[in-house]
Amino acid sequence: MSLLDTRERRRASPPPPPVAVRPGLGRRIRAAKWSYLYLAPMAVLLLAFVVYPIFASFGYTFYRWNGIGAPGDYVGLANFRQILHDGIFWGAVGHTFVYAFVLVPVQLLLALALALVLNNPKLKFALFFRTVYFIPVVTSAAVVGVVIQLMLANFGDSAGSLLAKTGVGDGQIDWLGDPHTALAVIIAIGIWHTLGYNLVYFLAGLQTIPAELYEAAKLDGCGPVQSFFRITIPMLRQVGVVIVVLAFIGSFQVFDLVQVLTGGGPYFATEVVNTYIYHLAFGGSAGAAAQPDIGLASAASFLYGLLLIVFSALQVLALRGISRRRTVANQ
Amino acid sequence: MSTLSQRPRPRTRLSLRQGRRGLLYLVLLGGGLIWLYPFLWALGSSLKSTDGFFSGGLNPIPSEFHWSNYSEAWTQADFGRFFVNTVLFATGTVIVTLLATSMAGYVLARTDFPGKKLWLGLVGVTLFLPHGYTIIPVFDLIQRLHLLNTLWSVVIVQSAGGMVFGTFLFMGYFTTIDRGLEDAARVDGANFHQIFWRIMLPLSGPMLATVGLFACINAWNSFFIPLVFTLSRPELHTLSVGMFNFIGQNSTAWTLVCAGSVITLAPIVLIFVVLQRFFINGLAGAVKQ
Repeated sequence: MSLLDTRERRRASPPPPPVAVRPGLGRRIRAAKWSYLYLAPMAVLLLAFVVYPIFASFGYTFYRWNGIGAPGDYVGLANFRQILHDGIFWGAVGHTFVYAFVLVPVQLLLALALALVLNNPKLKFALFFRTVYFIPVVTSAAVVGVVIQLMLANFGDSAGSLLAKTGVGDGQIDWLGDPHTALAVIIAIGIWHTLGYNLVYFLAGLQTIPAELYEAAKLDGCGPVQSFFRITIPMLRQVGVVIVVLAFIGSFQVFDLVQVLTGGGPYFATEVVNTYIYHLAFGGSAGAAAQPDIGLASAASFLYGLLLIVFSALQVLALRGISRRRTVANQ
Repeated sequence: MSTLSQRPRPRTRLSLRQGRRGLLYLVLLGGGLIWLYPFLWALGSSLKSTDGFFSGGLNPIPSEFHWSNYSEAWTQADFGRFFVNTVLFATGTVIVTLLATSMAGYVLARTDFPGKKLWLGLVGVTLFLPHGYTIIPVFDLIQRLHLLNTLWSVVIVQSAGGMVFGTFLFMGYFTTIDRGLEDAARVDGANFHQIFWRIMLPLSGPMLATVGLFACINAWNSFFIPLVFTLSRPELHTLSVGMFNFIGQNSTAWTLVCAGSVITLAPIVLIFVVLQRFFINGLAGAVKQ
């Protein structure tokens, strides 16, 4: 039928021009004027307050500048040299990576397990539990940090004294003041605070898996464990890659929680890159400079940005490689 | 004994399953209690006496209820003013974010124009770059625009920070809407603006709720941006900033700090609980694509 239609049409109309010539660039830009206008508010805000500052702070890396007045004292690459030779910077990089590489796997496993349970349509109060586990995400890390700091203080029936009753410790555990425990406590709080995001992402991923797959597997005699590894995990792979990448990006930017809980102390034991840069830029107890130095802070943030871009690229490539190899193997 | 053995098999299996399910609920509830414990503790401690606070430790239940902690925190730390500032700041941020991200998301999802791919690439890269401390150039820019120490500056800088994520959410959402709708509207003579404002935007209710709630939560919890841009105008401070002033000035009044925390956290938790259906489903929808 459609063949007949086209034939008739062809006969009726004059032959079309051989190949539609792509209109010139100027013409295409003019034709899309409304698109540009609609994009403009977002583009202006992003360029002015996110993109421009990144380049502007690169300009500051060549100066020794305390942030007051115009930068004047040109020092060339000295700031980069100083940061690269600062043990505290590398310590902060190390702590940030420990934070991310402990938090992400633990949190993702917890979130996946919880999502599997909450995804069961027969479970009652699923919405209630989902809300409960999501609530910390809604609250500010700064305010929650103050509350948890107070909770962990050693007064009354503190966590330390409760442990002492069961025979562990002497009752005076300085959770955030002891360099050996502080980072672990911060990681635990970080897991608590952001678990909700990954729970929701996993729930969404699980909902994309058609129920028929599970039914078919059941008919073929697959147990729940088998169908988990043969259906759930492979079907979650695509969403999983996004979740892992987002979780790492978030962890590498950790700031509020550390700043409120320990300020990077004690003795730089919890200094992460963002608190290190903050201390360089606005002064304070830690960092290579006692005086605020925007130049040093900008150099540190530039180096860290480079490190993150390289790491992110490697991560995406590795995850893509894994999923491609598995897809081939499955076929 | 004999009655037990006479029970038909399926029932035993059922009760076993019931037992397992009961255990599951118990674990979920226990975990939930841990998850909510810091909030319960803050709520309880906000009602304690100063002595009760120090002797109570981790116990959230106050021995006597000091409701006056709230009125004291409210008046002493000027929380009334901070509350109004926070509401204005959050509302402004939600409006700016929704307008900018929905319009950008629409044209990026539905129209083609030179430079689109380049722009998308740039936007993607900014997601990876750390930019929390680029605050100095931003401060400089705001100063030159003569917006320093206004709530406008806080709204604009905060909105700009949340722009990318919101745009991606709207982009994902608009690509799922049937193209036939737009074509039909165009045939009926609707122009570009009418299609967006009369058809596409009203259709994107769930995403407006999700992105709006997201912007609202982030603005309400924002600490660093309102702090830096209202440094010399304490009367423009928001709740989270105001609370930290308060800690500096009265470092011993911890029960009032807890009352302040509850005042700061309660509204946003309440908004979330009321609107959470949109929020979680909207996020879920965005992940699905």
